[in-house]
Amino acid sequence: MSEFTTFRHITIGQYLPYGSPVHRLDARAKLVMFLVLVAVVAFADSYTASLLLLIVLLSIVYLSRIPVRYALQGLRPALPWIAIFATLQLLFYKGRYGPEVCSVFWSWGFIDITTCSLRVVTLMVPRLLEFMILISLLTLTTSTTELTHGLEGLLSPLKRLRFPAHELALVFTIALRFVPTLAEELEKIMKAQASRGADFGEQGRLRFVQRTRNLIPLLVPLFLCALRRAEDLSLAMEARGYVGGRGRTSFVQLKSAPQDYLALALVLSFCAFILLYDFTALDELVIGTIGNLIRGSSSLIAH
Amino acid sequence: MTAIIQARDLHHTYLPGTPFEAVALQSVNMEVGEGEIVAIIGPTGSGKSTLIQHFNGLIRPQKGKVVVNGQDLSDEKVDIKALRRQVGLIFQSPQQQLFEQYVGDDIAFGPRNFGLDKEEVRRRVRKAMEMVGLSFEEFKDRLTFSLSGGEMRKVAIAGVLALEPKILVFDEPTSGLDPATSREFLAKISELHNIEGITIILVSHNMEDVAQLADRIYVIVGGRSVLNGTPRQIFSQPELLRAYGLDVPQVTQVMHGLWNRGRHMRTDLLTVGEAEQEICRYFGFGQGEAD
Repeated sequence: MSEFTTFRHITIGQYLPYGSPVHRLDARAKLVMFLVLVAVVAFADSYTASLLLLIVLLSIVYLSRIPVRYALQGLRPALPWIAIFATLQLLFYKGRYGPEVCSVFWSWGFIDITTCSLRVVTLMVPRLLEFMILISLLTLTTSTTELTHGLEGLLSPLKRLRFPAHELALVFTIALRFVPTLAEELEKIMKAQASRGADFGEQGRLRFVQRTRNLIPLLVPLFLCALRRAEDLSLAMEARGYVGGRGRTSFVQLKSAPQDYLALALVLSFCAFILLYDFTALDELVIGTIGNLIRGSSSLIAH
Repeated sequence: MTAIIQARDLHHTYLPGTPFEAVALQSVNMEVGEGEIVAIIGPTGSGKSTLIQHFNGLIRPQKGKVVVNGQDLSDEKVDIKALRRQVGLIFQSPQQQLFEQYVGDDIAFGPRNFGLDKEEVRRRVRKAMEMVGLSFEEFKDRLTFSLSGGEMRKVAIAGVLALEPKILVFDEPTSGLDPATSREFLAKISELHNIEGITIILVSHNMEDVAQLADRIYVIVGGRSVLNGTPRQIFSQPELLRAYGLDVPQVTQVMHGLWNRGRHMRTDLLTVGEAEQEICRYFGFGQGEAD
């Protein structure tokens, strides 16, 4: 693979028009489900709940016909950071986490690895996976137009309080719309500078000052290009008579159908279940079984 | 004539294995001799830009072979940085790559990347600026972003020339330029070829430019190299070129039109000068009368 195509792998903002049942859901319903699921993923603090969430999300990915590998591709550049966070939390996490009382597992100087820090790290990995899947699911199955209209629709009750729902939705669409464009532009600039002998990331991973200075030949042209595009865009919008949200009608009319309410009801009740059910007993069962399996297999090997 | 660039059965697919997979090249064969001017023409999306990015190792061959200056680029061990010093690639709208505050610094970016000493960098910047027609004393301390579009393009080209490459690859060198600047740029390109002896590869949509400059032409359609030959050979097939979404120079169209109206003059003419002479010869005008 070429060293410059990494930016094409940004999956955020790239809609895949597969027309699956997930694609056809009302954008407003999808946004609500997305927000609720994000909250639940953030709050779920048991192994079983995390596993259940992962299974449910993967089956939604399956329903949407998006290749799972593709949905997770955006995770790759984040992997080193995840590894760093996991190590830090494993070594320095001091608090309590979850229902159990922490017991020290291993200790050296001021570093304590407790059962709690182990738990935090073990739960972090599926949680990040779930966040990634959620974001990919939303953006890959919903076109930016639908997304904006969904957002505007959800925020429109606030318009009475002079909340700029339309403007906010527009800012959001434009930002999403230009992620792939700017990525492409960046690739072009990188290639042009590489043709003049610039190095990106090849030498000295630890020479931060040098590496930051190497970014200047990329950032200056990229910002210029972004500003030029912004100016062109605003001119083009004004030329077509754009005056803001007041009295504006839309080609896309969001209509909620029975299946939207059904999906919403299913997701909301699943979320309520995850939040309200006490998974302690199940978790202990899971850990106990895994422990027994490990003990069993090690004794088998020992024999 | 020895081949300085060779592409054999070259394939390239963007983002293979994803829903955005796109085939850009499927079997391109081409050869550029040392000291030649070779033009690559083809409709939009035919893979021309992908092809030229292979020549300085921005894209490595996925399947097939690219040999530049005796080095096989499929080989992981090839020193790509050294290669980029030999093959200068000038992208479309190169003025968009400028970033330094002062013109001189921007042109010096390339030579400095290759660790040349101060005196040598200065010599190269001066020479590169003179080659594109910018006076060193006058322009080196000008603010880059206060220049006009044409001047910025000259600075960007000087930035590549300062590497003193043996081969120069231009992607659409005259797009977006006014006729006078366009003519000036083409004259500069042939000057670089004639005086510095640089091998030149040129991607263009402008058939007039190509007819005027190129020794040989490659036609790329749908990621395949479909035709190659001298401008006279290529532009003698207007029907075929039109089927590919290309065309012949306007002067050549005029000569074909005259032929069809029963004025049997030569039709294999490519430049306005050639056509003028032929028309004068046909109608029996003397040179003085034509002027």
